[in-house]
Amino acid sequence: MIAPDSAAELRAERRFDMIAAVLIGCIAVLAAILAYSQIDASLAATRADMKAARLAADLSARISVSSQALDSSLGAQQVALMMGMDAASRELAGVKNNDGGTLAVGAAEDQAFTKLQKSLAATSATSGSAPVDVYTRGLLNATTADLENELAEQNHQVDLSNEASSREQRSVLGLSFLALAGVLTGLAAVLREGRAGWISLVAACAMAGGSGALALLTLA
Amino acid sequence: MRPSGELFEPSASESSAVTASEMAVASTERGHSGVALLLATAAVVAAIIGARASFVSNAASDSWQSALRTEVKRSAGAMEDVRYLYQSELPVAIRILEAQLLQGELQTAAAIETGPAKQALQSEADVQAGIIAALSSSSNLAGKPAYALPSGGFDLAKRLADLRAQYPALVALDPNGLETAGDGLAREAEMLSLAMLPTSIGAFLGVLAQPFKRRRGLLLAAGSVAVAAGAVMALGVEVLA
Repeated sequence: MIAPDSAAELRAERRFDMIAAVLIGCIAVLAAILAYSQIDASLAATRADMKAARLAADLSARISVSSQALDSSLGAQQVALMMGMDAASRELAGVKNNDGGTLAVGAAEDQAFTKLQKSLAATSATSGSAPVDVYTRGLLNATTADLENELAEQNHQVDLSNEASSREQRSVLGLSFLALAGVLTGLAAVLREGRAGWISLVAACAMAGGSGALALLTLA
Repeated sequence: MRPSGELFEPSASESSAVTASEMAVASTERGHSGVALLLATAAVVAAIIGARASFVSNAASDSWQSALRTEVKRSAGAMEDVRYLYQSELPVAIRILEAQLLQGELQTAAAIETGPAKQALQSEADVQAGIIAALSSSSNLAGKPAYALPSGGFDLAKRLADLRAQYPALVALDPNGLETAGDGLAREAEMLSLAMLPTSIGAFLGVLAQPFKRRRGLLLAAGSVAVAAGAVMALGVEVLA
C-alpha cells in the first residue's frame, strides 16, 4: 500500500512528466513547422530579390537600347531634312541671284534629299528585325507600354520580397522562442516538480505558445 | 503505526504480486529502450533531411544569383554591340550615303549642263567624292555590299547580327534557364523540409509514449510509422527531383 501523501506526490510527478512530455513533443512539431516556414520564406525572398534585380537590369538595358535605336532614327531624319533645307536654300539663292550654277546644285541636292529620305527610312525599318537574336530584338523594340509593365512587375517583386522577409523574420523569432522553450523544459526536468520546476515548465509552455502563434502567423 | 509515505515490503503471500511487478518493470525497461530508439531515429532522420534541405536551398540561391549575373552580362554584351552600331558605325555610314547620293545627283546634273553651272556641279561632286574617299575605309557598314539594301540604305539587322555573332557565347547566355533550375531546386528544398513534419510527429508520439505507459506500444508503433513516412517522403523527393 502507498500512503495518501505519497500517492499525491506520485500523481503530481506523473502530471509534471506528462506536461513536460507533451511540451517536448509540441516543440519538436513546431520546430519542423517553423523550419519549413523559414526555408519557404527565405527562398521566396531570395527569388523575389533576384527577380527584381534582373528586371531592373533588363529595364535599364531596354531603356538604353530602345532609346539609342529611336534617337538614331530621329537623327537620320534630321540629316535628311538638313539636306532638304540646304537644297531649298541653294535653289532660293540661285533664283534670287540669278545664278544658274547654284540653282543646278540646289536642284541636284533636292533630288538627293528625296533619295536619302527613302534610304534612311528603309534603314530604320530594318532595326530590330531578323536575323538579330530574339533577346536583342526585344531590347530594340521595347515600347513605353512594355517598359511600364516591366516596371510594375519589378515593383511587385520588391513587394513580394519585403513580405517574404517579414515572414522569415517571424519564423526566426518563433524558432528563437522555441529554443528558449526547449531550454526552460530542460531546466524544469532538472528542477523536477518543485515550485521552481513548475514555474520553469509554465514559462516553457508560454514560450512554446508564442512560438505556435508565430508559426500560425507565418503560415497564414 | 506506519510512517506516512513509506513503501512496505510485501508479505510471503504477496510473492505472486511481486513477480508480476518485476515483469512489469522489465516491460517498462523495454518500453524505455523503444522510446529512446524512436527519438534517436527521429532526430537522426530530421537532421539528415534538414541538412539536405539546407544544401538544396543553398543550391537554389546559387542558381538564382547566377541567373542575375548572367542577365547583367547578357544585357551588357547586347548594349555594347547596339551602342557600337548605332553610335559609332551608323553616323559615319549615313554621312557616306549622303555624300554618295549627292555626288550621283550632281554628276547626273553636270552631264546635261554646260558652262559655269556644269563647273559648279562638278566642283560640288568632287567635294562629295573627297568625303566618300576619306570615310569609306573606316566604315564596315557602308563599305560592305552585304549590308546594302536593294532600295538604298543599310541592313542594320544583318550588321547587328554579325556583330553579335562575333561573341556567340554572349548570345547563348540563358539566365531564364538558370532561374528555372533554381525554381526546381527551391521546390525540392521545400518538399524536403516538409518531410520533417511527419518525422517530428514521430518524435512527438515517441515522447508521449514515455508518460502514457498503457498506450506505449501503440504510440511507439505510430511514431515509427510517422518517422518512416518522413524518411520515405524525403527519399521520394530526392528520387523524383
